[in-house]
Amino acid sequence: MSFDDWYRQDRLPHIYCAGCGNGTIINCTLAAVDQMGWKKDDTVFVSGIGCSSRAPGYIVTDSLHTTHGRAIAFATGVKLANPDLHVIVFTGDGDLAAIGGNHFIHGCRRNIDLTVVCMNNQIYGMTGGQGSPTTPKGCLSSTTPAGCAEMPFDLCELAIAAGANYVSRWTSYHVKELEKAVKVGLETPGFSFIEALVQCPTAFGRRNKFRQVADHVEYLRAHSLLKAKSDRLLAEGKPIPEDMFVVGELARRNRPALGVKP
Amino acid sequence: MKLAIDETRCKGCNLCTKVCPYKIFKEGKKPNRRGIVVPELDRPERCTNCRLQHLYGRTLCGVCQLTCPDQAIDWIEEKPYELKKVAIEY
Ligand SMILES: Cc1ncc(C[n+]2csc(CCOP(=O)(O)OP(=O)(O)O)c2C)c(N)n1
Ligand code: SF4
Ligand code: SF4
Ligand code: SF4
Ligand SMILES: [Mg+2]
Repeated sequence: MSFDDWYRQDRLPHIYCAGCGNGTIINCTLAAVDQMGWKKDDTVFVSGIGCSSRAPGYIVTDSLHTTHGRAIAFATGVKLANPDLHVIVFTGDGDLAAIGGNHFIHGCRRNIDLTVVCMNNQIYGMTGGQGSPTTPKGCLSSTTPAGCAEMPFDLCELAIAAGANYVSRWTSYHVKELEKAVKVGLETPGFSFIEALVQCPTAFGRRNKFRQVADHVEYLRAHSLLKAKSDRLLAEGKPIPEDMFVVGELARRNRPALGVKP
Repeated sequence: MKLAIDETRCKGCNLCTKVCPYKIFKEGKKPNRRGIVVPELDRPERCTNCRLQHLYGRTLCGVCQLTCPDQAIDWIEEKPYELKKVAIEY
C-alpha cells in the first residue's frame, strides 16, 4: 500500500496549475492516512470551495465538496452522526479564515475530533488572486495592487487560542515532516489543525516575483524557523526576524473533545 | 525497481530536480507531444529506493514522489530483475 492507492486514478492528472503546491500536500496527507491502516469505507474527506478544496474529488473514499467556508460545519455533522468514521478536512486560507472563520474557531472550541489540513497559499487562488486574511503585509494581489497594508492572521495561534488539541505548521518543502505531523494529528483525539504553506505560482507567485515555482518553495524553506530555534531565541530575549514564520509542532494537549469514537 | 516519470501526468514544474539528494532529475530540453518539458533521469539506478526497496520491504527516501505535485513519479518492477553495479558518490 502507498498513498497512491488512495487516489482516483481515473481522475488524474488533476486540474491544478503546473507546480501548484496543493498536490504535494494531498500526497503527504494521504501518506499519513495510509499508515493508519484505516479502511477506505470508514474514512471521509470533506472540503469547502477553492482550488485546495477540490482535493477530495481526487480521493477514492466517500467525500463531501460542500459550500464555501462550511467544510468544518459539514464535517462536524458527519462526525457527530457517526463517530466511527475518520473525518479529514481539506481547506484553503480563504475558505478557513475568511468566510469560514467562525466555523474554524468554534470547531476548535468544541474540540471536535477532526483533522483539518489547510493549504495556505496566502491568496484566493481559484477566483483570480484576491488578497486573503493570510496575505502577508506588503504582498501584491489583485485587491492589494499597492501591497497589502493589513496584518495577516496567524492561523496556528488562532487554533491554539480557540482550543484545538493539536496544532502544527509546515510547508510544501517539508514533505516528510508534514506527513509525520498529519499522522500525529490523525492519532490525536479532538481537533487537529495542520497548516501547510504552499506555493500558488499562478495567483501569488506570478505577482510576487517568484519567477520559478522552485523560487517560492526555496523562499518557504529559507523563511521557516524551527520551533526549537524560535523558543531558544525567545528564551535569550532575542527578536524573531519579522519575515520568518515558526514551523513545527506548536500545540499537543488533551482537552476534553467531542465526537471521539467511544 | 526502476524509477519512472509518467509523461501523461508530469506538468514540467521541475520541483523534482531540486529535491533528490543524488540529483537524478535533470531539467529536460525538448517539449513532448503535450508541449511539456519533462525532466530527464540521470543514472536512475542510483536512487535509494530503486536499490533497496525490496530488501527493506518499504519505500526508502521517496521525497521526489511525495513532492511531485502531479503524482507523476513511481517505481516500476523490472523483469527480469537485473543486479547492477552502482557507483554512489557521497
Ligand atoms: C458563498 C461564496 N462566496 C464566494 C465564493 C467565491 N469563491 C470561490 S473560491 C473563493 C476563495 C478561495 O480561496 P481559498 O480558500 O484560499 O482557496 P484557494 O483557491 O486559494 O486554494 C471564493 C471567494 C463562493 N464560491 N461562494
Ligand atoms: S490558481 Fe494557484 S492554488 Fe489554484 S491551482 Fe493554480 S497554482 Fe494552485
Ligand atoms: S515534480 Fe513531478 S510534475 Fe514536476 S517536473 Fe518533476 S515529475 Fe514532472
Ligand atoms: S527516492 Fe530519493 S533518491 Fe530516489 S530519486 Fe527520489 S529523491 Fe532521489
Ligand atoms: Mg488560498
